[in-house]
Amino acid sequence: MSSTTLRYLLLIATAMVFQRFLFDQFRVAGVVADACLVLAVAAGMVAGSRRGAIVGFGAGLAYDLLVTTPFGLGALSYLVAGAAAGAVGHLVVHSARSLTILVGFSASFIGLLFFVIVGTIFGATDLVSAHLLVVLLVVPVTTSLLALPARRAVKWAESPAGSMNPAIHL
Amino acid sequence: MILLLLTGLTLLTLSGRGFGALDSARAMVGSVLAPVGDAARWVFSPITDAWDSAFARDDLRSENDSLREENDRLRGELTQAVVATNQLQELLKLVGIPFVGDTPVVHTQVVAGTFGNFGDTIELDKGSDSGIEIGMPVITGEGLIGRIRLVGEHRSTVELLSGGRFKVGFVVIGASAIGVAEGTGDPSRLRGSNIDIAQEVTEGQIVVTAGLRGSPFPPNIPIGTIASVRPDESARQTTVEIEMFSSTRDLSYADVVLWKSVD
Repeated sequence: MSSTTLRYLLLIATAMVFQRFLFDQFRVAGVVADACLVLAVAAGMVAGSRRGAIVGFGAGLAYDLLVTTPFGLGALSYLVAGAAAGAVGHLVVHSARSLTILVGFSASFIGLLFFVIVGTIFGATDLVSAHLLVVLLVVPVTTSLLALPARRAVKWAESPAGSMNPAIHL
Repeated sequence: MILLLLTGLTLLTLSGRGFGALDSARAMVGSVLAPVGDAARWVFSPITDAWDSAFARDDLRSENDSLREENDRLRGELTQAVVATNQLQELLKLVGIPFVGDTPVVHTQVVAGTFGNFGDTIELDKGSDSGIEIGMPVITGEGLIGRIRLVGEHRSTVELLSGGRFKVGFVVIGASAIGVAEGTGDPSRLRGSNIDIAQEVTEGQIVVTAGLRGSPFPPNIPIGTIASVRPDESARQTTVEIEMFSSTRDLSYADVVLWKSVD
């Protein structure tokens, strides 16, 4: 197992802890930020759509272990979100913070939409409700904001020696 | 990437077919993380209280107002409730089958609400070490609220009836009409369907679990009262709205009925 893989596993475990013990404590309009989705999107932004998809799959599997929605739904959806972040981010030439936020918003929105559509197809009919509209608005906003600092952690995982680069332009 | 997609689809299919190992993995992770979760809740409680008061001030104010109103109303209805409870017990005796009170229960405390943004679940502070198993009904002093979805050694997760993930067969007391109730996302309302239109049901009638052979629930657990009735002549069936005896919002305690389905 390469050191990069180990570092990503550490990041996924950290995301699980953050989700369960920090993010779930703070709800805005009944909605919580999603640490695993943040990691998937950040990986896509920093390392491209292929790496984003792989990290997204792993982070989604971790998310699936925490919730009661159909198992595998998070893995597939965050794979899509990570790949989308890489693909959309690739189209953006400038690395302005506002554009980064926009990429994060778009990718997480796509991932969530995929989650709901595939989940409904696989029998989780309760995913579609009035609450869904709030989720589709609040989660992408929080994801796009949290992806900014999360990119720093992903860059650490991607660096050859795992060292922090102090000069990172968000 | 195709391999990951196929793996994801395989997991989804296995989950849909009730592959037990996946639920066991979830229960194990829940058990491992539970002690740290308790510590985190204790540490963050001052902050989360402040957070709630900041972001849910309007909700809290309206909830406070409605609780005051409800308190006044409940004072007036207390006597009626005692009468209604007695009536329910008498009606259940008339049906001739034992009340769920005869079945042992495990008293539990609700330690957490729903994780993430999807699903309608609560977490209880007792698990398999107390005899709790997957599928067991969960009630409050007033009525049915859900069933056990995941079980760890010291923790269990309840899937709430109001969430709409599962259905429960019911009997209308005094009408012998049977139907199927399911959640709508509302914490205190259910939709009842598949009632034969020939059976006359009216608002205010009490609905209890049917407990037919193979049902995951025992008979006669109170569910709620019929709030509205909508006959559908073309489908030859009646649909009803059921006001649950026990709302699934802000639960603090719950009882797990140690009852196993007989197939």
